[in-house]
Amino acid sequence: MKPVSPNTLRNAVVVFLIVGILFLALSGFLRPVLGVVMDPFVAAQRWLSERFMAVYDFFTLPRDVTELIQRNSELEDEVANLQSQIIQLQEQLQEADILYSLLDYARSRPADQYTAAAVIGRDPSPFLQYIIIDHGSDDGIRYGMPVVTQQGLVGRVEAVTASAARVQLISDAQSTVNVTLQTQDADALVEGSISGDITLAMLNQNVSLNTGDILLTSGLGGNYPSDILVGQVVDIQKTENELFQTAYVQPVVDFETLRAVLVITNFQTTNISPLTNETAR
Amino acid sequence: MIANFISIPVMLLLSVLQSTAISRITLMHGSADLILIAVACWGVKEKGYNAFIWALVGGLFIALNSAMPFYIPIASYIFVALLAKLLFGRIWQSPILMLIVVVFAGTLFQHLISIFYLQVNGVNAGIIYSLQNITLPSLLLNLFFIFPMYVIISDLRQWVFPGDDYE
Repeated sequence: MKPVSPNTLRNAVVVFLIVGILFLALSGFLRPVLGVVMDPFVAAQRWLSERFMAVYDFFTLPRDVTELIQRNSELEDEVANLQSQIIQLQEQLQEADILYSLLDYARSRPADQYTAAAVIGRDPSPFLQYIIIDHGSDDGIRYGMPVVTQQGLVGRVEAVTASAARVQLISDAQSTVNVTLQTQDADALVEGSISGDITLAMLNQNVSLNTGDILLTSGLGGNYPSDILVGQVVDIQKTENELFQTAYVQPVVDFETLRAVLVITNFQTTNISPLTNETAR
Repeated sequence: MIANFISIPVMLLLSVLQSTAISRITLMHGSADLILIAVACWGVKEKGYNAFIWALVGGLFIALNSAMPFYIPIASYIFVALLAKLLFGRIWQSPILMLIVVVFAGTLFQHLISIFYLQVNGVNAGIIYSLQNITLPSLLLNLFFIFPMYVIISDLRQWVFPGDDYE
């Protein structure tokens, strides 16, 4: 048997030791030992790194601040642009919502033809309740056409130019609308006032009127189509010695926030003035 | 002459502003009247000169938007211009104080003839109710707008007639 040479034995011992150390390291048995050995190095590296970064920041920070200020300014501009876009989109969304609602209403009454118009102004006089819309005779708008929203009756066209029209609201002091109660066969009038409040008038004392009763246009008089929602009775004033009972009415349309309306373009107003007593006399 | 021409774009702008924005800003049932205030400011600054043209132009623009008969705004604004001309330098030297008096009296005059017109046309416009709920709030709003309008009209006048001041 050939004797093992000392070199081979030394190499084998070295390999055995390396494999053993690797095995111990992979098994985790050397972790405490490595910690003791590495911790001073890590601490020294951390200390040196912190000092270096402090010096680095000292020399590079002013440049970064300038860059940050510029970047901040760019981002602020971008935020302002985006906010402006958000506001525009919200406006468009609101308009779209209003138009969808109006479209739904128009679809629910297929017999009528409608023209949608935006509200662009109000009467400058505080005594009058009129709005100005952005459609006129060029768009088929004519005097007397009823104006509604998806909620209910707004008024009627009172004056027309080529590109705009003035609409008398039902809350105007000179406006009267023939109405009927939804639950009973009783006719009455809804009148406006200079304050913009509307009241129910000319209602027979025999009619049992209740708070919350719904009022619809009756179609009498030929100024408005029938069955358009007008308002709801909120406060009844019934006096025994009066011929008629009256009531305050809450209109279904909020006239202060009107933004878009529908004009019923195929409704023919009826001129009944030749038949009234005043003209006959 | 230029003051007369400058009244057209100014009054057009103010009437549009009045119809689209100011009429929607209400206090109770009252609202401010920019045209009336502008006529009063111009009348006070200009010793009443040209203010009649401003009143006429402003009245015509307002009449285009309003359902009120055209003669009511025109008469109101001419009254304001006349008052500014009559009172110039007579009661107080301070133009702001005179302006307040002119706007106060002009608003009152305008509302009284509006109420009279409505009553003649069969509208139940109670005078006490109207004064309390429409005229007084309108007066307050008009007084609120006097100062910014006075500054704008002063600058405008300085631009039209540089270096010429009646004060």
